[in-house]
Amino acid sequence: MGVDIGDLFKQEKISFKDLHDRIIVIDAYNVIHQFLSSIRQRDGTPLKNSKGEITSHLTGLLHRTGNMVEARIRPVYAFDGKPHLLKAKTLEERKKRKELAEKEWKEALEAGDIKKARTKAQQTSRVTNEIIQQSKQLLDALGIPYIQSPSEGEAQASYMVKKGDAYAAGSQDFDCLLVGSPILVRNLTASTRRKLPGKEAYTKINPHQIRLKSNLKLLGITQKQLVDMAILIGTDFNDGIKGIGPKKGLNLIKKNGNVENALATVGGEKLPSFDEIKEIRKIFLEPNITDDYSLDWPGSDNEKVIKILCDNHQFTLERVEPILEKFSNIKQMMKQKTLF
Amino acid sequence: MFNAKVKSEVLKGIIDVTSPLVNEVKLNITPKGISLRAVDPAHVAMVDLEVNSKAFEEFNATEMELGIDMDKLGSIMRLSSSGDMITLDYDEESNRLIVKIGNLIRKMGLIDTAGMPDPKMPNLNLPGKVILKASELNQGVRASEAVSDHLALTVDKNNFELFAEGDTDTVNLKLPKDLLVELNTSSKCKSLFSIDYFSNMIKPVRGDDPITIMIGNDNPIKVEFDIAEKKGHVTYLLAPRIESE
Repeated sequence: MGVDIGDLFKQEKISFKDLHDRIIVIDAYNVIHQFLSSIRQRDGTPLKNSKGEITSHLTGLLHRTGNMVEARIRPVYAFDGKPHLLKAKTLEERKKRKELAEKEWKEALEAGDIKKARTKAQQTSRVTNEIIQQSKQLLDALGIPYIQSPSEGEAQASYMVKKGDAYAAGSQDFDCLLVGSPILVRNLTASTRRKLPGKEAYTKINPHQIRLKSNLKLLGITQKQLVDMAILIGTDFNDGIKGIGPKKGLNLIKKNGNVENALATVGGEKLPSFDEIKEIRKIFLEPNITDDYSLDWPGSDNEKVIKILCDNHQFTLERVEPILEKFSNIKQMMKQKTLF
Repeated sequence: MFNAKVKSEVLKGIIDVTSPLVNEVKLNITPKGISLRAVDPAHVAMVDLEVNSKAFEEFNATEMELGIDMDKLGSIMRLSSSGDMITLDYDEESNRLIVKIGNLIRKMGLIDTAGMPDPKMPNLNLPGKVILKASELNQGVRASEAVSDHLALTVDKNNFELFAEGDTDTVNLKLPKDLLVELNTSSKCKSLFSIDYFSNMIKPVRGDDPITIMIGNDNPIKVEFDIAEKKGHVTYLLAPRIESE
């Protein structure tokens, strides 16, 4: 998902402590998708309530948000709005891949191949409207603000960082840099281990941040050229040019200035048209965003949270209570003001 | 054009006041000296620095800008010992700063200053003014670091007070007017600050050297002191923390 340009950027390791009193706008779709694919049983079955409905997203949101609040980070979630027409194809392909993965998961289960089953199951994760609604309900009860973006959540997050309302965008997705977030924070988890996809191995993970401006300087390109480079490699809105990865893409853009000139030097089928290029640039450089939000952390309504999690979704009260404890912190939290 | 000769301590001093806040800075150079103004990435703190050409043993310059990676310059300066004389020479052709430490020649690539911001000093109403010895303030801040991550500074007619409170421990430093170099306020002022930031700001000043503090109510604090054997001046601004409830 998103464009694959991570290796090009200089990433600074940070700790939760560096984010004290900071507001982080989290790309809600990105993080919920992560919960759905990773919070599963060994054979890949997601967590479910007594009615058989998935609850992995609620578990994830509760724990992740709790850890952030405990570390005195102020999270805000930005939800995706209507997808751009150009994304329809990507979404259609994703849907097909998920259907195929669903089939393979069942086959692997029947064959008793637990490892493969889990891998395939993770690929079936689908963020449905219901999951979004339930997530928002839980955030409301937890007293955590969220924003409904007119377009992509990461565009809204980036706008708020640019405006100075937040310190960074929180997402695994490098698209946040394409839409111009001055700082992107990745791996925003307190746990320091992550299972490597498809392997029985763990890797140590640390939160890190990427500063857009200094990276553009290092790469020697402008924000617009970064977007042009992404278009060559492939984005959510267009297929990349075959054989062009991040390194080659960067060189082509530096040599040719923009994607139009770069395309003229590479042959190949299915090149994006100039109109398409213009439109994709606009998606990243002039995204549709809203100023209609207020950032408030009123504290959690514990009764409501318990009703949602324990009554509606059969969470164990003894496991929810200690996490709710972390949210009591939020009222004593202080806000770090900025100079401008 | 820019070439200069400077004592290692003076250059290190410039790096020490800048690098905790910002990594990459735009150094403005004129025949009269150097200056820089930068804001940390979170826009919480600002550093404003002026160093007169007299702080240098030799100083020849026309008006220009140098984009400096302070961490890099800092690590180069760690190769020098106190008392060393450092030669700085800007090589226009390769856009590098040539740093000479004894027989060592270190050519340092510069950063493009195009697009680097020129932050403006915000207008602030800071009625409280205190001048005190660095050692007194340092002691209070060091003690606070152990109990909390923020501290409260209060100035009234008679006292300057520093207070930090953790879950179990507290720190209180109360300095009456007669122990201060100067105390002047039209009203009682109180603001809260992050200890991390604040301690970095006062760390470069040692011993009996004076630090000037200007403070308001839930307003940024202004911290000023001299560096480079009084031929340079530093002004910091730090945004406050606000209790939300």
